[in-house]
Amino acid sequence: MAEDTRGIQDAGPWMTATALPMDAPVMSPPPEVRTPLTHTALIDAEHVVSRLYNMINVPTAVWINEQGRIVRPNETAYVDNRLKYIHNVEAEPYIAALRDWVEKGDKSEYVFGEDRLKERLAPQDPNLGLAAAEFGLGQYLYKAGHLPEAIAHFKEAQRLNPDSWNYKRQAWLLSDSKRDYGTTFREEVAKLAGKRYYPARDLPGERP
Amino acid sequence: MRDRRAVVICNDIATQVNPAEGDASELWLTTGDLTRATRLELKPQGVCLDEQCFPLPDSLNDAQFIRNDAGTTFFNLTAFARLLRQSVARENGPEISAWYFGARQDQRQELESCKAPDFTLPDVSGKMHSLSDFRGKKVFLVTWASW
Repeated sequence: MAEDTRGIQDAGPWMTATALPMDAPVMSPPPEVRTPLTHTALIDAEHVVSRLYNMINVPTAVWINEQGRIVRPNETAYVDNRLKYIHNVEAEPYIAALRDWVEKGDKSEYVFGEDRLKERLAPQDPNLGLAAAEFGLGQYLYKAGHLPEAIAHFKEAQRLNPDSWNYKRQAWLLSDSKRDYGTTFREEVAKLAGKRYYPARDLPGERP
Repeated sequence: MRDRRAVVICNDIATQVNPAEGDASELWLTTGDLTRATRLELKPQGVCLDEQCFPLPDSLNDAQFIRNDAGTTFFNLTAFARLLRQSVARENGPEISAWYFGARQDQRQELESCKAPDFTLPDVSGKMHSLSDFRGKKVFLVTWASW
């Protein structure tokens, strides 16, 4: 993504938190092909950010102002079109909105007002907190070598928070998803039958 | 007979503990295990996490939370979690006993204030970074995954 930020680099730091499968080795490309990072990139093996911000899929972004306040909550955040052939989401409107915020700050038309923010950040269903606990327990059990027990808790997390593709995609990766969950990522996407895989972005012309 | 040791996962840190025997649906820990596993400490003003203290309501029977067995004080962490509306997940199988303590209600409500929850994570070199390190600058926080 670094090569597409262009003017967005002027916004100052942006952080990418990346969830990794727990048994994935940290692999780096050889030095001769590495592109220096132009932003802070973090490793989030425990899905901390996803849990704190109630994120349900990737890529998801949040805009945070200089005072540490959310000004635009969870949203699909493609900053280029390399995967548009899969999800049919055009990146340019989002990039334009982001640049507008970089330039105008809280005066940007793309910053949410207080009412819209409170509506989007409304108290969550208590089941979501329990889902997060079940998912966290599943992760621990997997790392401790207790896969069957982990699967049971991953399934419970998915039952309590069926909207979370993060829970599904993480769990499906850690074992044979067809055998252990009766499905695969491709099958679940196919079930959407063309319906948006990600929630619609709150941008002019795209509002849900 | 299965070892009665259990694992408590709190703030994504796993700690082996030796819970008191008894009702398997309740987790009674020694004050030492309590602090090691959760950083909670019993003080006169309540149950404290660093500078934040949660008083135990006078209306509730102290025996719900604290008991003394042969000179050892035990604290009921599951009852405390219910008081704080903290999410708890439990594995109690023949192979392993584990408790995962998730977010408290006050933590889950932090987003409602529109304040961006702080966190600390490592970069690819292992250096730790906190969101609060960037106070004074705009932050575009985006998550990806390797799957």
